[in-house]
Amino acid sequence: MQDKFTKILKAISDPTRREIFHALILVTSALPINQIATNFNMTRQGVTKHLKVLENANLVTINSQGRERYCIANAKPLKEVNKWLQFYEQFWDDSLNNLGKYLDES
Amino acid sequence: MKDSIKKEAIFNHSIDKVWNAISNGEEIAKWFINNNFKAEKGYEYTFTASEERGCLTITGEVKEANPYTLIYTWIVQDTNTETTVKWKLEELENGTKLHLEHSGISNYEGETAVNMFNSFSGGWAECIENLTKHLAL
Repeated sequence: MQDKFTKILKAISDPTRREIFHALILVTSALPINQIATNFNMTRQGVTKHLKVLENANLVTINSQGRERYCIANAKPLKEVNKWLQFYEQFWDDSLNNLGKYLDES
Repeated sequence: MKDSIKKEAIFNHSIDKVWNAISNGEEIAKWFINNNFKAEKGYEYTFTASEERGCLTITGEVKEANPYTLIYTWIVQDTNTETTVKWKLEELENGTKLHLEHSGISNYEGETAVNMFNSFSGGWAECIENLTKHLAL
C-alpha cells in the first residue's frame, strides 16, 4: 500500500528530485523534458524517471505537445507535508493521554 | 520551521512503572501500538498499526535504552526518512515527569521544499482527516 502522502514523502526525499522540482517552481512555466535533462546534465531517461516519481505524487504534471513533453510544477501537495507536523502534535497528545489512562488502570 | 515536537506529561505513578509502560513490548501494545519491541540498543523493531487505522508500519532501531532514557529511530513505511523519538523520565516526589521529543521531522521536506511551501502559504484545500486516516497509528 502506498497512499498519496507517502508518495509525496518519497518524491521529495531525493535531493535530485527536489532540485528538479525547485527549478520547475522557479520558472513558473512548463519546461520540455529535453531542456530539464540538459540543465541537469542528465540523460532524458534519467530525468524522466525522476519526473515520473514527482508526477506520481502530483507534484509535477506532464503534458504532450507534438513530439515534446512539457512539465509543470504543482506545489499544492506540499501542504500535506506541513500537516504532518500537526498530525504528530495530535498523535503524541493522544498517545500520552492513552498512556496516562493505562497507568491509572493497571 | 520547527524541527521537533516536544511534549511533557506528569503521571502519579512510580518511575519504574512508567518506564515499563514505554519500554516493554507487551505494555506498549496495550496503550500505543502493536510491536515486536525490545529495549535493547541496536534492536530493530517494527510497529504495526491496526487495520482500521491504516495498517501503517513504522520501523526503526533502538539507539539507547537505559533507565530512564529511551531513544529510537522512527521510519514510516515507503519513506526513507529517519526521524528520532526520545523518551526521558524524571523522578518527582510523588510521581514521574515524562519528556518526549520527536525530532528530525523537517527531514521530510528538505530545505528547498520547506522554503517552497513557506512561500506558497494560502488557499489550499486539504484534509487532515484523510491524513489521519492514512497515517493513523
